[in-house]
Amino acid sequence: MDRGGGEGGGVTPILQQGVDFAARFAAAKDRLPGAGLPWLASAREKASTDFERQGPPRSRRADWRFTPVDAVLGTDFEPAGRPKSHSGFAGKALCPLTFHRLVLGNGRLLPERSRYCDLPAGVSVSSLAQALQDDPGSLREDLGRDLSAEGLPFACLAAALFGEGVVVRVARGARLDRPLHLLLACDDTESGRPQMAHLRLVIILEPGASLELIEESLGGGRAPFWTNLLTTVRIGAGAGLKHYRLQRENALGSQTSATLVELGRGSRYESHAFSFGGALLRADLRVRLAAEGAQCSLNGLCLVRGTETADHHTVVEHAAAGGITRELYKAILDERGRFVFDGMVHVKPGAQKTDASLYNKNLLLCDDADVHSNPEFRIFADDVSCKHGGAIGRLSSEAMFYLRSRGIGASDARRMLVYAFGSEMIERVSLEPLRESLMAALHARMPEAAEETA
Amino acid sequence: MLKIKDLHAKAGGKAILKGLSLEVKPGEVHAIMGPNGSGKSTLSYVLAGREGYAITGGGVEYQGKDLLAMEPEVRAREGVFLAFQYPVEIPGVSNKYFLKAAFNAMRKHRGEPEMDAGAFLRFVKEKAKLVEMDPSFLNRSVNEGFSGGEKKRNEILQLAVLEPTLALLDETDSGLDIDALKSVAGGVNRLRDPKRSVVLITHYQRLLDYVVPDFVHVLSGGRIVKSGGKELAHQLEKEGYGWIEAAGKAAA
Repeated sequence: MDRGGGEGGGVTPILQQGVDFAARFAAAKDRLPGAGLPWLASAREKASTDFERQGPPRSRRADWRFTPVDAVLGTDFEPAGRPKSHSGFAGKALCPLTFHRLVLGNGRLLPERSRYCDLPAGVSVSSLAQALQDDPGSLREDLGRDLSAEGLPFACLAAALFGEGVVVRVARGARLDRPLHLLLACDDTESGRPQMAHLRLVIILEPGASLELIEESLGGGRAPFWTNLLTTVRIGAGAGLKHYRLQRENALGSQTSATLVELGRGSRYESHAFSFGGALLRADLRVRLAAEGAQCSLNGLCLVRGTETADHHTVVEHAAAGGITRELYKAILDERGRFVFDGMVHVKPGAQKTDASLYNKNLLLCDDADVHSNPEFRIFADDVSCKHGGAIGRLSSEAMFYLRSRGIGASDARRMLVYAFGSEMIERVSLEPLRESLMAALHARMPEAAEETA
Repeated sequence: MLKIKDLHAKAGGKAILKGLSLEVKPGEVHAIMGPNGSGKSTLSYVLAGREGYAITGGGVEYQGKDLLAMEPEVRAREGVFLAFQYPVEIPGVSNKYFLKAAFNAMRKHRGEPEMDAGAFLRFVKEKAKLVEMDPSFLNRSVNEGFSGGEKKRNEILQLAVLEPTLALLDETDSGLDIDALKSVAGGVNRLRDPKRSVVLITHYQRLLDYVVPDFVHVLSGGRIVKSGGKELAHQLEKEGYGWIEAAGKAAA
């Protein structure tokens, strides 16, 4: 089932074509947003040093051993330029146009494509570059955060090199009237060369606030594109965030992301990750239940095919008593696709009455596909309820025969069963228009029905 | 309608059917009875086209065509229906979606236009009423969490919706209480028609009190060893299968 990591025989491949990140940082640091702010300059410097000290993640690192990271490290990306055309971005999105919307094309805010001027009182949304001009002091805590101990090299790289981003702040008790849609789209530039964008998202919910955020990435163009995201989320007491992540890169698109979530007393974080395409998708999600009675629900559905890889690493840290975690990731694998799931729930001493479940279920449609699944608990409290499990299965031949015996053709029956496996995760989406477009997107990614003509 | 000629079939390398012959004409109801292990379920699966059976001799003609050469879905579209002894649970596929997909696959096969969702829902609710099934079952996943009786009722609902030309019922009566048995029998009787045929495969005579067969056959050792009218079922109920098996062995 395993077709091997990126390395063999102890020989480190020499990557002549990769980006020299230190040189790139030295050349760009005086032109990056907030360059005049001494505290930010030193935070960027430190992050760059932290990245160089850790080195780019290679497959010899345990947490990267199944991740074909050469898709990202073996290409000489240039900092993304303005896309040649961007008129079709919003129309291809899964999100309805009626939501508040920010569009970033190739990592740049496109004001003419965005619409977020009529936000309710207490809600502020702005580009990170703009926020660094208007009110840099309010971002110091989030952008100055030390990432050196996280073991996330690409997050350090994003902290050093970010050229843009988005800041969302919801004041105490405030809520949005409609969800906020953040569209990260990309397309070719005039140069036609591989492009990369490093972005930071800062999400702050004050106590009692609530937000539904849809973060959607959309691939395009004929040149490789790499998006490297660092997202920090702070959720105050009693506040709640629903965070949808829709990933549809094209065959040359890659995305690496780190999302660091801190949950206050009695607050809620709900994440729904849909990975529907991309040469390499690597997501590191860290959720810390820092105060009593916090809850998180982490959901994922990945459909990988071709030679795509989707890789989800999640760490949930129960640092206080009475926390609840519900985690389920599902993957459907076809052709030579690869899915990696590494889920850790860490129950710290004193986190009594923790109630956590952690599951990963995978459906293999082809023998050439591979899955690496590792759901795991570390428990240092004695009065807890923790359940976990993993499963890798194939389509049931009993169910196939049952459907066919009712006149349903083999390929229709197959699609029906694959769809049934995946739709469980889509049904958990509470936004109806989004649920419908996700259903359609899942259908569009289904195994072909070419052989069935009868 | 159906002509089974000297059928031999193996499962897992073991010969199960050993020269079974049977002819069913339009409008007839046949009951095939036999002890456990006689080959009843193998016969139904071979006729429906399940994988895992090797045909080692003989053949099956259905409406003049070679049934065994058809894919399972083609057999179904041509009008063959098997009510499963153990209906399969399919989590995530709603019962009404499944029924509509099956129903429209048949219509498409016959060159008829597909029925839209609204019209189908009205149609299937009427059918559910006929088989005394609570319409809430239409919104649930196919057979998931259904009791044994509910699963069998769901098979009869499919029978009512798909209106097959040849219905094979594999132990549809097993595990049913008397009320469920009556409504299952009602579903089968409503289908009786000079153009349709029914084959009831059963271990017990009970169902035959409600669906009265034209012919009763006894299957033993992979062959029909005795055929008769409905009175044969009563004889089997009274005397058991021992005398048939003894006779079969003596003959072999």
